[in-house]
Amino acid sequence: MAAAGGGWAAACEKFRSARTLSAVESRKDPETEPYRSKYSARALLQEVKQQLSAAEDCGEARLLAVRRAVLEYELGVNHTDTEELSAGEEHLQRCTQLLEPHRLTRDCVSLYIQAQNNLGILWSERDEIQTAQTYLESAEALYNQYMKEDGNPPLDPSEHFMSEEEKLTDQERSKRFEKAYTHTLYYLAQVYQHLEMIEKAAQYCHTTLKRQLEYCGYCPVEWALNAATLSQYYLSKQCFMESRHCLAAASVIFSQAGQVPSAEDSETEQDQQDLRQRKAEIARCWIKYCLNLLESARKLLEDNIGELDPDRQLELKAQRKKEEDEKENGRKKAVLFGSSDICDSVLAMEEKVSSVYPLDFQEAREIFLVGQNYVQEAKEFFQVDGYVTDHIEIVQDHSALFKVLAFFEEDYERRCKMHKRRIDMLEPIYADLNPQYYLLISRQLQFELADTYYEMMDLKVALGNRLEELDSHTIKKINSLAQLAIKYYELFLDSLRNPDKVFPEELEEDVLRPAMVAKFHIARLYGKLITSDSKKQLENMQMSLEYYTFLVDYCEKHPDAVRAVETELELSKEMVGLLPTRMERLRAKLCPFI
Amino acid sequence: YSFSVEGDAIKVYVRVRPPSEGTALTDGDQGLCLSVLSSNTIRLHSKPEPKIFTFDYVANMETTQESVFSSVAKSIVESCMNGYNGTIFAYGQTGSGKTFTMMGPSDSDNFTHSLRGVIPRSFEYLFFLIEREKEKAGSGKSFLCKCSFIEIYNEQIFDLLDSASAGLFLREHIKKGVFVDGAVEQVLSSAAEAYQVLTMGWRNRRVASTSMNRESSRSHAVFTITVESMEKNNDIVNIRSSLLNLVDLAGSERQKDTHTEGLRLKEAGNINRSLSCLGQVITALVDVGNGKQRHICYRDSKLTFLLRCNTILHCSTRLPGVAPNLQIKLTFVAAFLKQDSLGGNAKTCIIANVHPGSRCFGETLSTLNFAQRAKLIKNKAVVNEDTQGNVS
Repeated sequence: MAAAGGGWAAACEKFRSARTLSAVESRKDPETEPYRSKYSARALLQEVKQQLSAAEDCGEARLLAVRRAVLEYELGVNHTDTEELSAGEEHLQRCTQLLEPHRLTRDCVSLYIQAQNNLGILWSERDEIQTAQTYLESAEALYNQYMKEDGNPPLDPSEHFMSEEEKLTDQERSKRFEKAYTHTLYYLAQVYQHLEMIEKAAQYCHTTLKRQLEYCGYCPVEWALNAATLSQYYLSKQCFMESRHCLAAASVIFSQAGQVPSAEDSETEQDQQDLRQRKAEIARCWIKYCLNLLESARKLLEDNIGELDPDRQLELKAQRKKEEDEKENGRKKAVLFGSSDICDSVLAMEEKVSSVYPLDFQEAREIFLVGQNYVQEAKEFFQVDGYVTDHIEIVQDHSALFKVLAFFEEDYERRCKMHKRRIDMLEPIYADLNPQYYLLISRQLQFELADTYYEMMDLKVALGNRLEELDSHTIKKINSLAQLAIKYYELFLDSLRNPDKVFPEELEEDVLRPAMVAKFHIARLYGKLITSDSKKQLENMQMSLEYYTFLVDYCEKHPDAVRAVETELELSKEMVGLLPTRMERLRAKLCPFI
Repeated sequence: YSFSVEGDAIKVYVRVRPPSEGTALTDGDQGLCLSVLSSNTIRLHSKPEPKIFTFDYVANMETTQESVFSSVAKSIVESCMNGYNGTIFAYGQTGSGKTFTMMGPSDSDNFTHSLRGVIPRSFEYLFFLIEREKEKAGSGKSFLCKCSFIEIYNEQIFDLLDSASAGLFLREHIKKGVFVDGAVEQVLSSAAEAYQVLTMGWRNRRVASTSMNRESSRSHAVFTITVESMEKNNDIVNIRSSLLNLVDLAGSERQKDTHTEGLRLKEAGNINRSLSCLGQVITALVDVGNGKQRHICYRDSKLTFLLRCNTILHCSTRLPGVAPNLQIKLTFVAAFLKQDSLGGNAKTCIIANVHPGSRCFGETLSTLNFAQRAKLIKNKAVVNEDTQGNVS
């Protein structure tokens, strides 16, 4: 028996070495022999296994089975780690078979769950996601059942090869067990994503993040970035409360990262730079939050010509009042991140910006200002020199913030000034940008500049209509805005030409609508140009007609295009019918005797 | 203000190597998993139905190195002289003849060997054309050739011409586009010199052996030659510059290579970086977001960054039905294609190497699928247009 005891100590020692080789040493293996330590670990584990089977007759059957299961588990993981899946599967299967009768007991439940986690990984590597799903879901169910029926901190698998005095504390056991379960959820999040069960995947991502916070198993920067990214998922679902909560938590947790310098590597300049970049990334998620909230509100409030609908506004305000009275307890407990003190900081962060639709200019402006602050913060890192694409994207967002704010502005003069701000930020960037490398952005800017001038012209026309008579200053202004809009639409259309400067016979699907809208708007713009010179007016009408005709002809040749521009086409057809008569009349006026 | 809407689609060439001597003898004809039907079709003996693939060119086992060069690279080198950018990608499983096709037989001086590959031949041809051009134009025209050689491994960029350098960074310039900040540029004066630089750098690449496959590359390598020509005409100086990129994609069997995994669930076993791919999962969820404005934080991947800098292809590379691991490589290819082809001034081809042995069936299928998909990559642009705007 003494000899057996000695043998046991040696076995424990070997087991421990194998674990260290696998987990620690293997990270230092040379790139040319990535699995050297894993192979050594495997050899050790096999020795222990042989030793165990030699000692078969002397021990207690259950104890032996569990120990064997631990070894099978380790061997299984080792083989899958080294890309030998079939062998890995055999070991893991043997592990679960050995444990099957005891899987709900305190010394086996954790090992069983981890074996199933690994079987899940293994099957996913064989592209059999559904099989992986069954293993993981059964691990999830086992956890829940164990917590319901027993709930005591279970043994960690490694304890089966430890002497009594080395055994873990209950606190440590619980921590490791919960971690294994967190991994189950984390793998399930991936499974659901692969199976395109998006909502479920999001829910499991959320829960994983939540558990990471609870059990302190996270790196603040990474966690914050994940939460910020998750907020963007909620944005696409129009769940602004959840989105804001994720962002607020991201900002709070991120601020921890700066305070706790990582012990391992001293902060290099590169780390600092990375940290600044992450901060800017989170700021950009906030910008999108503000933008989406404003834009969703606009969609609720606008009438059929895109203006603020006052009746709708009153109606929504009344509805909100009613909801506020009922709500208060509306917040779902499940979505909350963090324990009490983190939670308080998150709530404080949330209070800085609303998560309900703004219904008037004041409310919209508050959200706009928050967004604008984040624009400044993001731009500090993403400077144009080195980060062209990112920088321009941020400027585009800034412009979009102004655009949607302008919707809430009732004063046309002030609204026009907001659009002018957009021009001022976009035009210089556009001028510098090399379209050879940034064609897409270049086109976006052309189109947006054109649209902005177009909108400003419309506002000036509306302002002019309030006057008794158009003064020459207003006329000049309207004409120059219209000319600038035409210029940028034309630049956009030119960018579609091939190297031989020929406009394509058939437009690619993704530029079809923008190109047609550009043509249509140019047609309208020529119609809006004001001149007292009848000859000039005739020329403008001629231009207008040509562009309207393009639309009509194109859609005749390509009936598929009709769907994309139904309204525009209808109006164009009408104009193509009307314009020649009007031009005829004008010509008659010009030369009454012919 | 004119550039093409649509770059040339990628030209795809497939080359079938002869089976290694041992396998051909023992397995006989039964051992082959494919047959070349014509100079552009190949049949894969898949079950239950055989599958026919069509490519721009299929080189069978007898095709010579010279002929591969002529049909694949010659026109690319020529257009490079005319100011166009050119890119040649090599793709395939270890042992499929990738190195033979690109470099030539191993363990010998490839540069003079009669079986030398596409790369040395391209160098020769390039410098031959330069010399000819110089003679024609006399003193009025001069050329400057420079090269750089970088490797993308494990999400980091390394300079293969400067083994002491740490990771490099991709940056953007408003006029010059994307570039690798700090990469060494070496001036080249002859084809032999170019080849020497390439082979030196090639040895610095990260390769690995496991018990399952003997040696395979885990990195993407990009060798770039910049050809600058300066022509003086009276007082006018005309400068033209073009790039020739030679890209060696990570071995297709290295599924474990960084982001190339397909459906595999990312393990969280590693103590320090647990749950590290949660972000990727969330990103994927956000990616689906129906046209809503959103920001995606993760661009650690150099490949993704390259792609994002070249946003145009963002949508067109999301091809339906493409396995994610292929998707990543396509993305990489697409990033290059787009960067170059904006002015309608780029030529791109992929050489996909396959081994005909039936044991390689899985890999060959995956390579052919990849090559097939690569043909679909096109240069597309999207304009964010506000469709809410009123038209009245």
